[in-house]
Amino acid sequence: MEVTVTDLTVRFGAVAVLDDVDLEIASGERRALIGPNGAGKTTLLNVIAGELRPAQGSVRLGTRDATTLPPWKRARLGLGRTFQRSTLFGQLTVAENVALAVRARIRGSWRFWPGGQHPVREEVGKRLEAAALAHLANRRAANIGHGEQRMLELELALAASPSVLLLDEPMAGLSGAERQSVLNRLLTLPRQVTIVIVEHDLDAVFAIAERVSVLDHGVKIADGGPAAVRADPRVQEAYIGAF
Amino acid sequence: MLLALALASIPLWAPRFWIYIATQALIFAIFAMSLDLLVGYAGLPSFGHAAFYGVGAYACALLALGHVDGLVPLLLAGMLGAGAAALPIGALSLRTSGIYFLMLTLAFAQMLWGLAVNWTSLTRGTDGLIGIPRPALPGLDTLNVSLYDRGPFFFLCLLVAIAVFVVLESLVRSPFGKTLEGIRENDRRMRALGFPTFRYRLAAFVLAGMVAGIAGSLAAMSNGFATPDLLYWTVSGLALIAVVVGGTRSFIGPALGAFLVLFAQLGLSTYIDRWELALGALFIAFVLFLPRGLVGLVRRA
Repeated sequence: MEVTVTDLTVRFGAVAVLDDVDLEIASGERRALIGPNGAGKTTLLNVIAGELRPAQGSVRLGTRDATTLPPWKRARLGLGRTFQRSTLFGQLTVAENVALAVRARIRGSWRFWPGGQHPVREEVGKRLEAAALAHLANRRAANIGHGEQRMLELELALAASPSVLLLDEPMAGLSGAERQSVLNRLLTLPRQVTIVIVEHDLDAVFAIAERVSVLDHGVKIADGGPAAVRADPRVQEAYIGAF
Repeated sequence: MLLALALASIPLWAPRFWIYIATQALIFAIFAMSLDLLVGYAGLPSFGHAAFYGVGAYACALLALGHVDGLVPLLLAGMLGAGAAALPIGALSLRTSGIYFLMLTLAFAQMLWGLAVNWTSLTRGTDGLIGIPRPALPGLDTLNVSLYDRGPFFFLCLLVAIAVFVVLESLVRSPFGKTLEGIRENDRRMRALGFPTFRYRLAAFVLAGMVAGIAGSLAAMSNGFATPDLLYWTVSGLALIAVVVGGTRSFIGPALGAFLVLFAQLGLSTYIDRWELALGALFIAFVLFLPRGLVGLVRRA
């Protein structure tokens, strides 16, 4: 599914956190959003996901104008996301966490009696296997390690089989090996899934992204292939020494 | 199971007065269990749950005084009446959360209490509706079984309490129940996954109100009257104490808590004028030393 952001402006008080930003992301494209801290990357993700209403501009998902849709309706259009800080169901088990995401997709949650959950359990088992979390299935999400929580965070988004996936710093705080397993999980996603990733780990960014958009102080300063963006003097200035 | 059997034997050996008290405790237990669906599972600290207990009692009373005879219609009246009240109250209160939700539910319950006091043509004000008949039991009256006798009425309450327990237990194990827990744990993530969380919360609020309405119906039949006291905030408060003392996130806990609170009230008020003070101390002790309530104590042992 395509994601099209047009003339987007978001203000917190008098400050424009995003100023007239345009993004055109093709279906199945892997796009990275980078930029220094405070550039407005997470804000942009929140606007696309529907948690923030822009002061101006529009958000389209596929052919649909989604600017005024609440987050849950956008999710039903096929939008999935992860959060910068793990946003899990702490007191529920890892398996129950994933089961909620699976039921969100199959719309199986208006059932008032137990039973008939065999297909859900089976899918949860497979997904936990794929995420290397099967051994933690019955542990509470609050009690597993940080790296495991990040994997679960990603798995919650994937279990809904999104056609657009927004990732907010999926590598944050992970060890080298954990980064590699998140990266592998992302690289094995079906080609038609559109991915928008915000990430400070530039090695990961360039391993995944086909195009890179750079934000600085709420303004998009560059947009293009990884090599062109690396060479852009304005990007180098915003990111002194990062490349 | 054992508990149910022990309770079922009460009419066989207990003095009449204690059968009456046990009946009251069962009704209160149904009410407390319904509140825990909100407090424990959905994470919604309602301080106005007595509204639905009271509306259920009045709905049942009005129908019974209107010469409707029959157990099922009277219980349904309490259930549906309370559900009808819970729908708009929930729809407005659930736009807030936490302490604001607590205050709003309290305010709505007090408004209904005021209505019960002032709408004298319908409710007879503070005098209340009196002389509520208990329904006949077709088929059983030939066997000389009447709900006017303490034993059969106790069994009715026990059966309803067990049914409510079973229904609520399976509800919280169902996909709907798990969804409520997900919303309690992380509303933002649930919305990001595509759940219209407000609708689920509202459904839980109405369901809990309906169960409270069943308890209210039984209370009206048991007492033979319905007064505004049933809707007063202290009733909501006692139910919250029962839930916390018994242990949230289980239904056996609040049911035990209801028994404890009722017996404590009875025992303390016999010896101490200001029994509320002692009950308050008990509550504080539980919150500080047994935050998981009676159920937590049993699980630890």
